[in-house]
Amino acid sequence: MNYRNLTPDEVDFLERNRCSADDWADVMVHPEIDLSRIQGVRFEGKVAIGKLSGTLTADDGRILSSGIINSALQNCTVGDQCYISDAGIIRNYNIGDRVVIENVNALATRGESYFGNGIEIEVLNEGGGRGLVLFDRLSAQLAYLLVLYRHDNDLIDALKSMINEYVENQKNSKGTIGDDVRIFRCNQIFDVKVGSHAKLTGVLSLENGTINSNEQAPAEIGAGVIVRDFIILSGSQVKDGALLTGCFVGQGVRIGRQFSAENSAFFANCEGFHSEAVSVFAGPYSVTHHRSTLLIAGMFSFYNAGSGTNQSNHMYKLGPLHQGILERGAKTGSFSYMLWPSRVGPFSAVIGKHYVNFDASDMPFSYIEEVEGKSLLTPGMNLFTVGTRRDSAKWVKRDRRTDPDKLDLIHFELFSPFVMQRVLAGQKILKELYEHAGRQQEFVKYKGLFIKRLLLKRTIKYYQMAMKIFLGEQLLKRLQALGNVENSEQLRKALKPENEVSLEEWIDLFGMFIPKSELTKLLEKTKNGSLNTIESFYRALRGVFEKYDDLAWSWTAALLKEELNIDVEKIGGEQLKQIIDEWKENKQRFNNLIMSDAQKEYDVNSRIGYGIDGDETVRDLDFERVRGNYETNGFVRELKRENAEIEKLADEWNKKLDKVF
Amino acid sequence: MQKDEIKARVKKVIAQVLGIDESEINDEANFIFDLGADSRQSLELVAAFEEEFDIEMDEDKALEVQTVSDAVDFIAQILV
Repeated sequence: MNYRNLTPDEVDFLERNRCSADDWADVMVHPEIDLSRIQGVRFEGKVAIGKLSGTLTADDGRILSSGIINSALQNCTVGDQCYISDAGIIRNYNIGDRVVIENVNALATRGESYFGNGIEIEVLNEGGGRGLVLFDRLSAQLAYLLVLYRHDNDLIDALKSMINEYVENQKNSKGTIGDDVRIFRCNQIFDVKVGSHAKLTGVLSLENGTINSNEQAPAEIGAGVIVRDFIILSGSQVKDGALLTGCFVGQGVRIGRQFSAENSAFFANCEGFHSEAVSVFAGPYSVTHHRSTLLIAGMFSFYNAGSGTNQSNHMYKLGPLHQGILERGAKTGSFSYMLWPSRVGPFSAVIGKHYVNFDASDMPFSYIEEVEGKSLLTPGMNLFTVGTRRDSAKWVKRDRRTDPDKLDLIHFELFSPFVMQRVLAGQKILKELYEHAGRQQEFVKYKGLFIKRLLLKRTIKYYQMAMKIFLGEQLLKRLQALGNVENSEQLRKALKPENEVSLEEWIDLFGMFIPKSELTKLLEKTKNGSLNTIESFYRALRGVFEKYDDLAWSWTAALLKEELNIDVEKIGGEQLKQIIDEWKENKQRFNNLIMSDAQKEYDVNSRIGYGIDGDETVRDLDFERVRGNYETNGFVRELKRENAEIEKLADEWNKKLDKVF
Repeated sequence: MQKDEIKARVKKVIAQVLGIDESEINDEANFIFDLGADSRQSLELVAAFEEEFDIEMDEDKALEVQTVSDAVDFIAQILV
């Protein structure tokens, strides 16, 4: 922009409008500026002002004429069509176009700043050792490697080197307020970079941070918020008296209702309300909503915290160095307690208080209950609960990230090679425990937990059910992609895996499923410098992310060979039909069990307290008016509809296969 | 096996799994509402019946069994 100096007449005009300057020669303006829109402004240092024209809308609907009124500007550029009113001091900022700043005490960059980039926070281990470097392009996947791959010094050095390069580029003695930003009634904002379309209202204090924001995914910071040393990404909201220190807030995150956190990271779509978080490493979709919940020194992912959930590491002697791992989909019941270190397997529920250190990572979909002081594990029991089904369906629908540039890579599948490898491991362990248990035993012990001996055999069956459903799902996904099948050769060709057929280990990289070999290749490229920027690393990671279906099929092919001795390249019609039939049978049974769980919500026990002043008829009527009935419940109807579709799909493919083979 | 014997063994299993006295278990007692079985205990009962009678029970069908007499009938059908 070609700004110009003010003429002597213009200086005279501004002075008559209660303006003053250290040196008017340092004040530059847009060639077409309307100076009548500048009143009561103090100019210090070099200031440039854009074209002040047109109107803007305030948060309460008032129409504001562009202009600068009753404010002090020091070393600032102000874009076109801005409205700045009653800003105590705005120092060292480049302000974009169409920005509104009203009633702000101080908005300043105090010397050179990285705006929150490069801050290291101690997640997972309060005592340190897993420092996570924050920056405004941090993804859940990269964070996972930085925090958990400490055994690989070369990798950590390479990643930190990339991050440092990025962070250095963020250093500036001037802050930025992007286009179309709205800042109303805020107390103090120091060393904060604000992305376009962000809205800051009633903030008490923001210090040393970056708020990423854009038109598609505006960020919002609300009333009473105090945030220091932070990164907040696009589409997120931090509101209602939240207190954050040393925190990363990922895309689409909601923080509010006096939630407080320190040294914590929250990735895509997390929610933190009322409660407290300390050294929390929260992967995508981790939520804590209740006032009495404290999450501390733990890793969580797709997690739901019941009220009063608490963990501690008070058994320590050399310092608070313990850590807790709750894998994808784990949840904790009201007033549950866990002693760190402990590890909860995927999609498991923890109920009650547990005063032992346990490891249930190879027992996915389990209940971990406190029964008469014992920590009791029931493997596979959470497979067919309403909660697991509802959770897995809701996550996809609740992706709030509207930014086209989504940083966290997320796979949503309930049954994936990652989870199935745990199911396989669980099955094997349960078989061994069963073989070695005597009939007189009530319990068997497993890694700090007790399992009812009677349930060993039965829970193996639950895992077998899950396995059959997984095999069928994968096969049908592959077949469906084929569309029309002409002959058996074409079908076998289509079923041939693109990748090495191996039952290799899979990893849940904080939301993204990845075979260990693929991750190893990527990490080698990082260490040898082939991937030497954050963006090149992300591109490579996304490449693997997008190959998930093919990679999962290769793993499935290996599983078919291992479990059923079926070679997919030589597979016959009867074998295919067997997989599909077993999928149908088990999937429908699985849904029936979930419906049976749902039915409990309509039984007599669930009606306690209904029809408060009446008899049983009144009770039932009241219940039905409030809760509806089982048959018309949307969730139940959805499961019934799914059962019908399963039947139809299986029949359809059985007929197609009859024609081909 | 006679139904009376099945019933006696069913009650013995219920008493063991739910930690109650056999005399508290009447034929029409509902496992959940009358005997207080929770979800895990319901699974445990199925597993215990399987072990007691050396049978295999379908999970979803077994969980439809609500009362002691239902359980006796269900097991009797399998044993036929």
